[in-house]
Amino acid sequence: MDVTLVLLALFSTVGLVFTYLAISERDLVRAIIYSAVQSSAYAVLLYLLRAPDIVLVYLPVAVGLYPAALLFLVGKTEKVDGG
Amino acid sequence: MALSTLERFLLTLTLYNLLVTAAISIYGIVARPSLAKKIIALTILGDSLNVLAIFIGFRVFSIPPVLTAEAELSYFVGLAVDPLPQALVLTAIVIGLAVNLFLIFLALQVYRLYGTLDTRRIRELRG
Amino acid sequence: MRRVVVLVSIAVSVALLAYATSVAGALGYLGLETRALARMLLALAYNPGLRELTAMSPEAVTAIVWDFRGVDTLYETVVFYMAIIAALAIYRGAPKVGGGGGIGLSLIAKVVTKLLIPMNIAVAVSIAVHGHLTPGGGFQAGAALAVVSVLLAVVFSASSFSKVGVDVSKAVALRSAGLVAIAVVVFTPLIYSSVTGAQAYLMQSYVKVDSGFAFPVEVFGQLISGTLIWLNVAEFLAVSFGFFIIFMLLSLREDVVRSALVGEEHGSQHS
Repeated sequence: MDVTLVLLALFSTVGLVFTYLAISERDLVRAIIYSAVQSSAYAVLLYLLRAPDIVLVYLPVAVGLYPAALLFLVGKTEKVDGG
Repeated sequence: MALSTLERFLLTLTLYNLLVTAAISIYGIVARPSLAKKIIALTILGDSLNVLAIFIGFRVFSIPPVLTAEAELSYFVGLAVDPLPQALVLTAIVIGLAVNLFLIFLALQVYRLYGTLDTRRIRELRG
Repeated sequence: MRRVVVLVSIAVSVALLAYATSVAGALGYLGLETRALARMLLALAYNPGLRELTAMSPEAVTAIVWDFRGVDTLYETVVFYMAIIAALAIYRGAPKVGGGGGIGLSLIAKVVTKLLIPMNIAVAVSIAVHGHLTPGGGFQAGAALAVVSVLLAVVFSASSFSKVGVDVSKAVALRSAGLVAIAVVVFTPLIYSSVTGAQAYLMQSYVKVDSGFAFPVEVFGQLISGTLIWLNVAEFLAVSFGFFIIFMLLSLREDVVRSALVGEEHGSQHS
């Protein structure tokens, strides 16, 4: 019984929950924060899948650069997802 | 080497979680009206499909595909995960990043021209 | 009504995909065995016994990215380059320097960031240069250095870029230098082949069956794996300064940019 498989299932479920929260949230800043948490869960998932090169790309890109660029976009335009 | 039922259940559960995440993000692209929310959902879709591609090359009881000083070659080949999906996903992440950054710039320009990011109002305002 | 159709179609297609991948085995038997192609690539990544087929790099993923499937990576660099050109084209005519003013965050944040930025630069350079021995490489290092540009734009303000000495034209020049270095390394075997008449292939890194041309593999006993280290460092320069351009443009003040763009659209020129 490998601990890796239990942790794989756990972190993919965390990613699923935060994806649903990010898509259904009206306030855009909170949606960006939820998607950053989901990306952190996926970074742990990628480490458990024995892919250290991908973790080194994924961590700055999905946790640092995407939320930063999206927050610049949301700060200059509308902050609420209407409807 | 066969997997026990519990191990196979956990692997299948991870696979289903990735597929359902992709499904929820496709719903988010189609059904939410704000352009910024569509871009967020597009990044989540790309991430979940890339993780799915790496999950294909996974094998239980394995080591990363890096040859260390003390490992011998046949032991390494018999125990490491598949390096080819990792190389392809590296390319895919960078291309997805380029496309998403360009979409963010386009969304900024749409806001400057139409005054709103809501696609229902843009449809009425066109022209 | 339309939303119901969307939901039902997504659910049906995901159920079909889940059935195909888990029960019918469309993705292979998950978690059990690797394919023959994977075993061959792992055996050939560092194999001094088979000199004509190996890439001489103990890191299998970097060997695949820059040696076995090197032309894919070349085209991906071109795609990234085009995205940066598109961003520069949208901002044409806008003043490319962050205006004066802008305070940034508090003093505590600024002091802590001043301690963190040199560590970030050191880690990024180490990842780039060690890309053929440990997990790392050009893209990883470029993304890690791009976080520095985000920190500069947010913690200090947008005017901090000119104080550090980086503006958009210098970043474009450095990025182009990285791309030119990649082109030089890629075309060197062809130039060698046309000068001496021997056989050599595009992007060739080590000896092949019918070609004796090889980049140096070891320097003073340290492994540098042919073209891999030069391509990693050049890609690091190109990617990191591409990200600097993007975040320098995104942090410009919106009213300044808008007045420049609207003025150009109506025919009047702001100098």
